[in-house]
Amino acid sequence: MTKLLSSRDIDISQRNFQQIIIRGDGKDRFNQIINKEISIIPPSKNLEVTKDDRFMFAKNSFDQWSLIYLVERDYKEILKFISNINSNDEILASDYSYGQVYFEISGKNRNEFLNKLTHFDLRLKKFPVFSMAQTLIAKIDCSIYHLKDRYIVTCNRSFEDYFKERLKDTANI
Amino acid sequence: MSALDNKKSSYIKKNKKVSFTFDGKKYYGYKGDTIASALLRNNVRLIARSFKYHRPRGIYTCGIEEPNAIVQILNEHNEPNARATVKQIYEGMKVDSQNRWPSLNLDIGSINNLLSPMFSAGFYYKTFMGPKGFWKKIYEPIIRRTAGLGKPPKEFRSKSIHQNHNVDIVIVGAGLSGLIAARKLIDTEYDVLLLEQDSFLGGVLKNSNKVEQINNQEVNKWIKETERLIKISTNIKILKNSLVTSYNFTNHLIALEDKFAGKAIDTSKSELTLHKIRTTHTILANGHIERFISFRNNDLPGVMLASSFEKYIHRYGVIPETNPVIFTNNSTTVTLLKSLVDLGHKPVAYVDARDKNKIGKKLLTYLKKNNIPFYFNAEIEGCDGNKKVETISIRKNKNKIIKVKSSMLCVSGGINPDIHLFTQSKGLVKWDDKLITFKPDVPFQNTITIGSVSGNYNYEKTHDEINNKLSFLKPKNIEMKIKINDTNNFNIKELWETRHEKKSNWSKSFIDLHNDVTTKDLKQAVVEGFDRIEHLKRFTTNSMGTDQGKISSINSLGIVSKILKKEISEVGTTTYRPPYAPLSFSAIAGRNTYEFYDPQRKTPIHNWHINNKAIFEDVGQWKRPWYFKEHDSETMHQAVQRESKQTRQTAGILDGSTLGKIEIKGKDALEFMNLMYTNPFTKMKPMTSRYALMLGEDGMIKDDGIVCKFNDKHFIATTTSGGAPKVLADMEEYLQTEWPHLQVYVNSITEQFTTFNISGPKSRDIMSKVFTEVDFSNENFPFMTFKVFNYKGTEARIMRASFTGELGYEIYITPNHGLELWKRIFHHGNVFDLVPYGTETMHLLRAEKGYVVIGQETDGTVTPIDLNFNWMIGKKKKDFIGKRSLTRSDTAREDRKQLVGIVPLDKSEFIEEGQHVVERERLPNPIKTPVEYLGHVSSSYHSPNLNHCIAMAMIKGGNKLMGKKLFISSSYGTKNIAVEVVSPVFIDPENKRLTS
Repeated sequence: MTKLLSSRDIDISQRNFQQIIIRGDGKDRFNQIINKEISIIPPSKNLEVTKDDRFMFAKNSFDQWSLIYLVERDYKEILKFISNINSNDEILASDYSYGQVYFEISGKNRNEFLNKLTHFDLRLKKFPVFSMAQTLIAKIDCSIYHLKDRYIVTCNRSFEDYFKERLKDTANI
Repeated sequence: MSALDNKKSSYIKKNKKVSFTFDGKKYYGYKGDTIASALLRNNVRLIARSFKYHRPRGIYTCGIEEPNAIVQILNEHNEPNARATVKQIYEGMKVDSQNRWPSLNLDIGSINNLLSPMFSAGFYYKTFMGPKGFWKKIYEPIIRRTAGLGKPPKEFRSKSIHQNHNVDIVIVGAGLSGLIAARKLIDTEYDVLLLEQDSFLGGVLKNSNKVEQINNQEVNKWIKETERLIKISTNIKILKNSLVTSYNFTNHLIALEDKFAGKAIDTSKSELTLHKIRTTHTILANGHIERFISFRNNDLPGVMLASSFEKYIHRYGVIPETNPVIFTNNSTTVTLLKSLVDLGHKPVAYVDARDKNKIGKKLLTYLKKNNIPFYFNAEIEGCDGNKKVETISIRKNKNKIIKVKSSMLCVSGGINPDIHLFTQSKGLVKWDDKLITFKPDVPFQNTITIGSVSGNYNYEKTHDEINNKLSFLKPKNIEMKIKINDTNNFNIKELWETRHEKKSNWSKSFIDLHNDVTTKDLKQAVVEGFDRIEHLKRFTTNSMGTDQGKISSINSLGIVSKILKKEISEVGTTTYRPPYAPLSFSAIAGRNTYEFYDPQRKTPIHNWHINNKAIFEDVGQWKRPWYFKEHDSETMHQAVQRESKQTRQTAGILDGSTLGKIEIKGKDALEFMNLMYTNPFTKMKPMTSRYALMLGEDGMIKDDGIVCKFNDKHFIATTTSGGAPKVLADMEEYLQTEWPHLQVYVNSITEQFTTFNISGPKSRDIMSKVFTEVDFSNENFPFMTFKVFNYKGTEARIMRASFTGELGYEIYITPNHGLELWKRIFHHGNVFDLVPYGTETMHLLRAEKGYVVIGQETDGTVTPIDLNFNWMIGKKKKDFIGKRSLTRSDTAREDRKQLVGIVPLDKSEFIEEGQHVVERERLPNPIKTPVEYLGHVSSSYHSPNLNHCIAMAMIKGGNKLMGKKLFISSSYGTKNIAVEVVSPVFIDPENKRLTS
């Protein structure tokens, strides 16, 4: 974890997670296959996030899930998991581990801060805890995960420098 | 008389003196003063010169509607066109007047007033027509010099920011009705945003003494209490100094907040915030705007709207003139009269256009009791004076003119609900004959209007109206007793313009003060046939100034309706467009400027490129090395020639991480790929790759790339760097809409693999050193195959492919290993003279080999047949996107533009990209008849390996022109360059290098 900034009730850190994007139909067999591998049932409700100490598992859309490893694993294990999953014709698992960057945004003013960069409605009644969304933040396609007292924001690694500069600029101005 | 202080001022902090300059002269005001109120306090009446005639102008209003007092703020980056009636002063502020030279008092431009008979309506459209040559050298420079008011800011880099809000209810305006609405919504379930353009809440309550008490409390106490309750509430947020400028579709509003109202700007901080608000309901409580009346010289400094005069007294505590003349056609001016009397002053005359019986006994008694000369059924004929009002002519008893002396004339022509935002939201308005104005009728969105904006001018009934209109929100019940200091029966007599006595070319009756449009202009426009209000507006420029005719647009409708002998409701109203008031482009842009203008994408190797003197080019949002400078004085041409030559002699490496990559998997993946691409994939062996084309449904080439087949159920496809998102979106769209029966999933993996393209005769040697466990021999690793293997605990994929025509490999590795591997390749490649190359060399090398670039050889009108790519079309395939279009008569005809190679006959000549291919050696000068155009040059480079220029061109029937002599136009003259049409493959047509 790298602390990026802390100012005016905003704390932003960069996190290193590993991630897999999984596509499938979300039916029983799909759930069983995933559960067999990592002992967690994929969330069934659209934009829902489930979380335990190891994973954050989100349903991005009707046929797409995002599995984020909160505790770093040996990369071989992840590749093995992907390989096992992909041995089933009806599922596609793609490794996103090092192609994404992750930012943890917390602090009392996190909503106001983020709303300088996105129009997304972050109010609790519209964006409840343990839900996720894919939206534009600082003109970049991002995913945002609501974890009660903080958000995890992810974007493509290629935008890392630009995104960090925008975060710093927004905090400083 | 000079200006006096009103000791009972409700807003100004008189214990805080502030100095500022106007046109270089130092003045003092108080904290909270606007430039206008401070200048009035200092008896400065001449503030500006008018736009067209350079007539002297003063302060006409006390708010955003001001048409005259527009100034330049020198110490705010030379900010032009600031409204003196809104902009607050602060210590050290430097203000200048605009549109005058050499000085405000003596302005040479005022000669325009003498020449004004020439500048009649439509002057711009009728003049400057000839002589022909005058436009460029005489008219345009003069117009450019004289156009506009202020001077643009210089060397100013704004730090404006945007702030998004999502709320349930927005209340626009924190005057009486806005505050009542907010108070009823305190601690309810709704998230509420209360927007107020001023630095304080209260609106009309602080602008006048029209309301005496609320709930038996003095109004200021009630405002304070209300503000306190709102602030401690959990659900309402107040934004002051925030003017709503736009009300867009789907209840989306834009408000501009001045973060430094009344303070000097701190250049390290954001000076403006553009609030973008999405709401469920919008409550418009934005009040009304007083309108003026046209009469002779109604623009002289000293003429002011009556309610504005009242506002200066109550809000800013300055009495601009103790003995003005009041001229009205309605009942709203009573409180001004009372305010003056209460302060121990009285008007020189009270002139009322209404009949005596409409005025009411109460007022008549009051006027008599206080010995105020009053005239009913009377009007102002005009006023006169040198750069200020001195004499005022009153017409009484229809024809008799009397003259009175005063320096100020307070005018009220009635009040208009401020319907700008309501109409921006597409709400419909209707004409009210009793109020003589338009008022909101049917809202288009979830809009509720309350208070005077809805046409309710009776403050006593405001609470009842709000209860009624907000009942569906089930707000809190609160007690509200409003005691007013005014008549609750608004009445008005229609009066738009008074009759002139004095005939003079220099005495004018204005309808639009900002744009110097006179009532005579309106009449002339109608005579000339511009009898539709939208046409007339543009012909005369009426209400097209930055004030959008806020105090006068209804008046012009009134005057035009009289000329046309129609009802105003028949004449209609012009469209109110956003923004409500001017806002700077910097506020609109926010932080999306300069380095943040467009997001930048960088590859994991980016910093290495910087350290190795890469010059970058933008490819989509990607920063790609264009070429690498060997030393600082090396030119781009030299670098590209060096990189190209060395790659063909030894080896070169390109960072191809930007290439789009898509993973495709599912039991129907093979069928899907066969449908998406022109190529057949059925017989393709696993672990092989193929160059593939994707067409649009029109048969035109859309994208290309290499498809790697793991097996029939699993593929990875590359796309062009810029085309990746579109190709992925197209794949998803087809899967979801056209072929939902196919069980296939696609994922973008562009960012998941860092990609290098290494090519050249030494590339195998280098690869063998880097990946010692892989057998790179031709037999074990033939052209267009790929292998997946473990590299330092991760998975790497190497494909034998090339975009240069040389022996080459593409390496795909996870980004966390990208830079390490890149450096490792160089470590081993140095002994083989490995050179990094950029996109320009990539283009040159591929052109030598005759490879096309999508978007360079193609332009959306090129089919695979045009490029002689027939071999890429799976003719036996049942279907693929664009198949049917390839057999259309137009796409199948033989004289379509086809891809050819071009070489100049004189090898020392260079052909430019984009030039025309023609059959004529020399172009006529001038060209009088069309010259037959055969096609265009799509790519052209100087080949260091052939030592002459090579080019690719799209030429009509090109396949049949091989060996023919043609000509290419040049940008240097009419003589064309003689060329020969050849095959587009210039190097290694036998593919010996590629497959070596």
